[in-house]
Formats: sequence, structure tokens, C-alpha cells
Amino acid sequence: MDRRDALRLFSATAALPAVPDLLVLGRRLHERLTARPALRTLDPHQNATVTAVADRILPATDTPGATAARVNEFIDLLLTEWTPQEARARFLAGLADLDARARAAFGKAFVDGGEADQVRLLIVLEDEALRLKEQPGPHPEPFFRTIKYLTMYGYYTSEIGAKQELHFEIIPGRYVPCTPLSAASGPPGGD
Amino acid sequence: MAKVYDAIVVGSGMTGGWAAKELTEHGLDTLVLEAGRPITPAVDYVEHVPVWEKRFRGLRDRNAQLANQPIQRECYACDEWSSKFFVDDHENPYTTEPDAPFLWLRGRQVGGRSIMWGRQVYRWSDLDFEANLRDGIAVDWPIRYADLAPWYDHVEEFVGISGEPLGLPQLPDGKFLPPMELNCVERVVREALAKRFGRERVLTIGRVAILTQNHLGRAACHYCGNCERGCVTLSYFNSINSTLPAAQRTGKLTLRPYSVARSLMYDKKRTRVTGVRVVDAQTKHDIEFHGRIIFLCASTLESARLLLLSATPELPNGLANSSGQVGRNLMDHVMGGGARGRIDGNLDKTDTGRRPNGIYVPRFRNLRDGPKSPFLRGYGYQGGGDREHWGRGVDQAGFGADFKRAMRDPGPWHFSLYGFGECLPNHDNYAELDKTKTDAYGIPVLKINCRFGENERAILKDASIAAAEMLAAAGAHDINPFVENNPPGKTIHEMGTARMGRDPKTSVLNGWNQAWDIPNLFITDGACMASSACQNPSITYMALTARAADHAVELLKRREL
Repeated sequence: MDRRDALRLFSATAALPAVPDLLVLGRRLHERLTARPALRTLDPHQNATVTAVADRILPATDTPGATAARVNEFIDLLLTEWTPQEARARFLAGLADLDARARAAFGKAFVDGGEADQVRLLIVLEDEALRLKEQPGPHPEPFFRTIKYLTMYGYYTSEIGAKQELHFEIIPGRYVPCTPLSAASGPPGGD
Repeated sequence: MAKVYDAIVVGSGMTGGWAAKELTEHGLDTLVLEAGRPITPAVDYVEHVPVWEKRFRGLRDRNAQLANQPIQRECYACDEWSSKFFVDDHENPYTTEPDAPFLWLRGRQVGGRSIMWGRQVYRWSDLDFEANLRDGIAVDWPIRYADLAPWYDHVEEFVGISGEPLGLPQLPDGKFLPPMELNCVERVVREALAKRFGRERVLTIGRVAILTQNHLGRAACHYCGNCERGCVTLSYFNSINSTLPAAQRTGKLTLRPYSVARSLMYDKKRTRVTGVRVVDAQTKHDIEFHGRIIFLCASTLESARLLLLSATPELPNGLANSSGQVGRNLMDHVMGGGARGRIDGNLDKTDTGRRPNGIYVPRFRNLRDGPKSPFLRGYGYQGGGDREHWGRGVDQAGFGADFKRAMRDPGPWHFSLYGFGECLPNHDNYAELDKTKTDAYGIPVLKINCRFGENERAILKDASIAAAEMLAAAGAHDINPFVENNPPGKTIHEMGTARMGRDPKTSVLNGWNQAWDIPNLFITDGACMASSACQNPSITYMALTARAADHAVELLKRREL
């Protein structure tokens, strides 16, 4: 929905007869303004799970987190248009496994657990992923590393992540070769 | 009667732009034929499009690249912004032996690869021009540094090169604008190397064709960081920003895009080329253009291909090929021997702005008076110091609010040295026509046969060991030496397929880039190179082009063409 649609909606409210339910109208407007594009690979439950995991990895703090940066939509895009089929299947299986382990650990699907339950389970997954990295030989990327990478990539390359978190400037205007970190306006390198 | 241009230049990139500028400024009515499309900077330059506006956020359109650019995608610069500056591999095929991959990374548009080039600029010295003679390899260069030095001056003054003079005999200083600056850790490493190696191994800021102050109507760099996506302030050199506009200003330039050269026309009685046969890329119709002299600036492999495609019943091996050397001696710099390590300290410091340049360590092996290595020639390093960014967090333990806060600051400093080494000319590395296959315009393609040899492998290995040694001298930790196995072509410094020499029996071009067999034909792109040195080659091609254009004009005045 663009700005013109929003204005049209507003002008429609002005034409309404007496005692309109402004609260309902306002909520509908909000829903339409914040409407997300349809997801193409993740079903609603998978999407809720990805959103929850991403938010545990990069929560809102003094800056917005993964949810505000719509990391889930970026992950859905990659799964749909980028990721090789085998890796996509592994990712979706990882989501299912996360739920299975959530049920075993706290008797609910991952998204229905409390924050502490979710964090505890993710720490277990992270420990396994880090231990696997120490093992010799090739092995498929563990689900936790995949979703952590995708979350971080999606967040730091979003407008929110790049501008608000990293203070990325499109045109720095000059190169300062050695400056106190506190004076730096953003990180070195990167896009 | 068809129009006869004073000069026809095939190609509008790095060297074609220079040929156009010099020839038109001497008053020649010049036609530049470019196979690709025109580039409109206001539309096509995309350096300020931020990552979040790209669909795949810099991860590239993987499936589209696998389908259309399976070769071009091997180039670091063929990304979501700049892949449009690289060819479609299905429209522009070539073949190789299965066990000898060669990456032919190409741009077909006005400006050619000068739009995406690496911008590093290093003069050659007599250590390089005398190398073949000294080693008894291939043929001796017909020129020496003194022949080219004034032409390096000439092109550098126009291009605008930022760099630091060092006074080293193996890497002559040029006409420099103020150098870009070394960052905190690069200064630390420079001092440590000076202490340990003295003047033997010197670290300097890269010499680059990027402006550090306003220059001839082009603005100083604003450090947005990705030159290969274009530059609306024209701060780096390419032919669209610089040479082609200069040619345009003379009123003598005709630039024709969508003009795919099919062959040269040849008058066997006069032993002169008379013009170029072109396929119009849009209509697919054949057109002929006539000229008094022809400059081939189509790139190392395309210029050789054009000579081979121009074979006649009398000259079945192609034009200008009585020596049999056209297509032979294909070289590309060998790259990817080096090391990386962590440099502790300076955690309270960083750099800001994205400097599109790194460091350079000039060649220090097999110098004229120094010790001799068990391999011939040498290598230089590019590289630099950088702090880790958020990407380090992927493989570190941790997530959540504290983790997010920690990723806001950069991680430890690292330092990289990445070697670029000389490739020896070798008769058995060659390109020929593959008559079983044609491109999108029905023109036979090249079959490329090229392999690196023992000397190139020895150079990479030594570059790795010496880099680790230098990082150790700089106090680095967790030093990781590496030797990559890159196929030839990947460095995109291919050269040598119509070499200069002193003898028409063993070379294609004389000391003026003029074909021995055809006096009004000049080849000034990388094809002309008799050896490769280890320096990035573009500035040498530019200087050779300007020198050849000046000579061609002299010959025209003396009515000798």
C-alpha cells in the first residue's frame, strides 16, 4: 500500500455518515498500511517460528531488531528464489526439528514457549553447532548456524540495520585513516 | 562512394579511448567501433544504490547468474550492481580443453572493462623490459623504459594517479597526485617491515587511478567505496569519464555502439587494411567501414580473434600472421599466494569512509643486483589492514541483546598480503578459432589453450611463504598462509597474443605497435605484450597506445602509410 492508497482511505472516512466506529476503522487502516507481501515458501507457522528465532538472535534494544527489519521476509525470499533445493529442504526440516525439540523440552511448539524456554533451547542448538565445527571432515551446516547467518545478514543489510545499528553512510565524503572508535560514524568496509 | 575515415579504432575501453583521444586531438577524423551498448552514467552508474535496495542484498541473483553468466560470475565485481557490465556467456561463448579451464571475463559496452577495472597503476622498469633478453625466453622487447617514460608521464597527467613516490628502480615513480592514506594498522606493519627488511621490502599505499583532489574537471573521490559500479563524480578513470569526452570535444569523433567487428578488409596489392566489416548487433546486418589506418583496441583475445577471422585464401592463417605468433604466448598474472594474520592492539581506533584502494608491496625477488631465487621473475603484493565486522559473530557463541551490542563495534584488526606474480610467455599457451562454434552474431569463437607452468606455481608458493614471514615480522598472530589454485584468466590481465618484437619472423608487431606485415595496422591493447611483468598492466597499455598513435600520425604526415 502506498501513500496515495492511505490518503484515499482517509478521505473515505471523511465521507462516512454519523458515528463511524473510528477504532475499527483505525485498526483496519493500520492492518492495510503494515500489510506484508505474501510469503512464498514459509507457511504461517514456519514464518512465526523464523520470526521468533530471529528476534531471539537480534532483539529490539535501543535500536529495532530482526522483526522490525523484516528478516523473516528476506529469509522467505532467499528460500524461494536463491537457496538450492537441498539446502531449502534442510532448513525446513530444521524448523520442524526445532518444534519437536521444543515439545520435548517444554511441551509446546517453539513459538508458544516463553522467552526463557526459547533461549534455553537455542543455547543447546548453538552448543551442538559449535561442537560440530570442531569435528573434522565435511558436514552439512547445522540449522542454528544457517538461521543465525541468515538473520544477521538480513538484519545488517536492511535499511534499519545498516542505518540505525551500523550508522552506514552512503557517501562518507572523506577517508579518515585512524580515528578513535568512539568518533567513528560506522564500521569499516562492507557495502 | 563510401566515406573513408582517417582512422578506425576497434574497441572503446581502456586503450580504445586513448587511441580515440590522441588521434582526434591530432585532427584525424576517427570512427570508434564498439560491439556493446552505450552507457549513460546518469542511468547506468549505480554506486550509490544501497544494499537494502538490491533484491538479494548483495548475495547476487544466483539462479540468473548460473543460467546466463556461469563464467562471468567468477569475477568479484560481477555482483548485483555491476553484473550488467559483464557479458552474457551464452551470447559470447568460447571453448577450452576440459582439463585447462580459462576464465575470459569480459565487458562489452562503451567503456569496455575500463568501467569495472581494478584501477591499480604501476609503471614497468627495465628490469621488466630486459627480462626476456636476460633469461633467453621468448623474444626481446623492442623498447626500453626510456622509450615509454615520456608516454607514462603523458597519460598519467591526464588520468590522475594518486600515489607515493618511493625512488625504487624496479617500480619507477610517476606523476602523482597526493597519496591516499594508510590506516592505523597498515602504518604499524609498514614500520615493522622497514625495521626488519629495510628498503628490501617496502609497504606503500596502492597507486590508483582515483583522484585525491579535483583534476581536469573531475572531482576528488568521496569514498563511497565501489568504483566498479560507476562514479557519478567521475573520480576514477575510465574511458567514458575521461578519454572519450576529450575525443568528443575535438568534433572529430564518431562513436558507433552495437558494432561487432567480424573481420578486417585487406588490400593484398598494397598490403594495407582498408576497413572493418561489422555486424550491427541490433539489426544483425553486415556493414563495412573504411579507414586509412586501423587501431585494434578490442582486448587481447578479441584483437587476436579478429586477425584470425580475417584470413583470406592467400593468407589462410589470418592477417598480420606471417610469424605464426597471432594468438600465441597468451599470459595472465598468477595470483593468490599470500597470507593473512591478526594484529593485536589498536582496538580503540578505526578508519571511516570506504577507501577503494589497499596497500602495495613492490617486487623484491630477483632484482638486478640482489640474490637470485629458484624461480624466474617475481611478484608484488596487494592487500591491507581491516577490522572484522558483524560477520565474525556468525561463528562466535552468543545471541541476544548483549551479542547485538557487541556486534555494533568492529572486531580485531587483520592484515592481508595477496601476491600477483609474473607469467612467462609460452608458445604452447594460445588461442585459435574454434570453427565448430559461433557466437550470437554467427562469428566463429575462440578456443583457448592456456595453463600455468612450474615457474608460476613456484612464484605463488614463494609469495605465500614470504607473506607469512612478513606478517610474523609485523607481530601478527594466527598467521594463515595460502596458495590458491586460480585458473588463468581470473586475474583479468590476459595479454601477449600479438607480441611486439625486433624480428618480423618471430613477432607480430614492431616497436611502435605496428604490424610488421601491414604498416597501417596498429594493435595497442594487451595483445602487444612480449612479457607480463607482475605489475597491473593497464597504464602500460595506455602509454603504448598514446605512443603508437603519435607515431601513426607522424607516418601519415610523411605519407608513409
